[in-house]
Amino acid sequence: MGEVIVVTSGKGGVGKTTTTANIGTGFALLGKKVVLVDADIGLRNLDVVMGLDNRIVYDLVDVTEGNCRLKQALIRDKRYETLYLLPAAQTRDKNAVNPEQMKELCKELAQDFDYVIIDCPAGIEQGFKNAIAGADRAVIVTTPEVSAVRDADRIIGLLESEGKSNPKLIVNRIRPKMVKKGDMMDIDDIIDILAVDLLGIIPEDEYIVISTNRGEPAVANPVSIASTAYKNIVRRLTGENVPLMTLETDDGFFARIKKIFRF
Amino acid sequence: MSSNIVFKGSKNGLQLIIDDNVDFDSVLEQLKLKLASASEFFTNGSAQIQVPAANSRFTPEQQTELITLFSHYGLTWLKDNNTGHQEGPVFDESQAVDEQDHPLIISKTVRNGQEIVHQGTIVVQGDINPGAKVIAGGDILVHGTCRGVAHAGAFGNMNATITADRLLATQIRIAGLIARAPDNLDIPECVETARIVDGAVIIEPA
Repeated sequence: MGEVIVVTSGKGGVGKTTTTANIGTGFALLGKKVVLVDADIGLRNLDVVMGLDNRIVYDLVDVTEGNCRLKQALIRDKRYETLYLLPAAQTRDKNAVNPEQMKELCKELAQDFDYVIIDCPAGIEQGFKNAIAGADRAVIVTTPEVSAVRDADRIIGLLESEGKSNPKLIVNRIRPKMVKKGDMMDIDDIIDILAVDLLGIIPEDEYIVISTNRGEPAVANPVSIASTAYKNIVRRLTGENVPLMTLETDDGFFARIKKIFRF
Repeated sequence: MSSNIVFKGSKNGLQLIIDDNVDFDSVLEQLKLKLASASEFFTNGSAQIQVPAANSRFTPEQQTELITLFSHYGLTWLKDNNTGHQEGPVFDESQAVDEQDHPLIISKTVRNGQEIVHQGTIVVQGDINPGAKVIAGGDILVHGTCRGVAHAGAFGNMNATITADRLLATQIRIAGLIARAPDNLDIPECVETARIVDGAVIIEPA
């Protein structure tokens, strides 16, 4: 039985889809069998970020409505043999699926794959409820902005009330220089409010924009800063103990980041 | 005069618990007093109230009188559909008094969008985050950081206090008074308590 992980945030535009694509590709780089599920019905993006939009024939709603078999809707990635995508429907909306159907779907996928990664839509309505229904664990993505952190807090509360406790946190788009000047929330401030375990931090990286537009997840690029950060996150998700490049050392957070990333 | 009626917060809103041996006129009188003293609390008009076993105790005319009184304070009476015996948990007076005496202890972070209502004192062993609401009939004690909205003495108790290890609440409400945090708030270095002194909410080291 594989593990079902939902990537969620509450707020839009913090990098859920990018994170889903990169974590998924990261697992595939480690040779794991992984499927990405786009739960953002009506506003699908994951297929574009993965560069697989021209291969879609059937989608998630076709599967739940019985128009096709699950295997027919799965798209194999063009670069990695063990990576698959289940795209969202674009002509329907969130109400086309219910949480029970998602649970069934996740269960079925978990039998064939090591990891099922669900890209959750923004918001706390039907789409969110569908996306988290079948998940074993949750990864929360936030950015160092007060609004994103507030929404993340709301999401953690909603996950707890659904019995999904101990979500892990990714802080995306950190700009070390701005944090150093005191112009941006630092990781400690965020953890202090959210009181959850940190899974990793992703520094702001222009290469993410380039890779997203090209449809090639950044994690495969050996020189990208964000790539290293995503690789570490994937290793932590497999249970490996990769030290966080955070504030526990004496020479400080930024000195370590600089060392690791050779700024 | 001892109180024969008690407001009790539950998951589905408020419950009005009425002593068994009180006549309707006395209930109505006490209810008017209580609601008047807590009028600030029910301002948004969306609160729902339940009165267990009301159908068997009060005549339809008396019930209409109650509904009018509730609606005057923005409360909606959520009636039981069954006319006879009430199903589900029945709250008797002893249980309600129990709950009033015993503090409610929350051993986790109260997060954005969550609301906790309790008749007595609330103790939070964790943080109250921005966007969260904690409403107590008695005092509020926070062993952690209070960044949300805290309302002590919500049913009219002017002597209620709010104490927190780090009191950074967006709003502090005690009984009918509301105090807002200054726009540039320094992080306090000690445990602080908010209380009403001379008709104003003041914050001082505990």
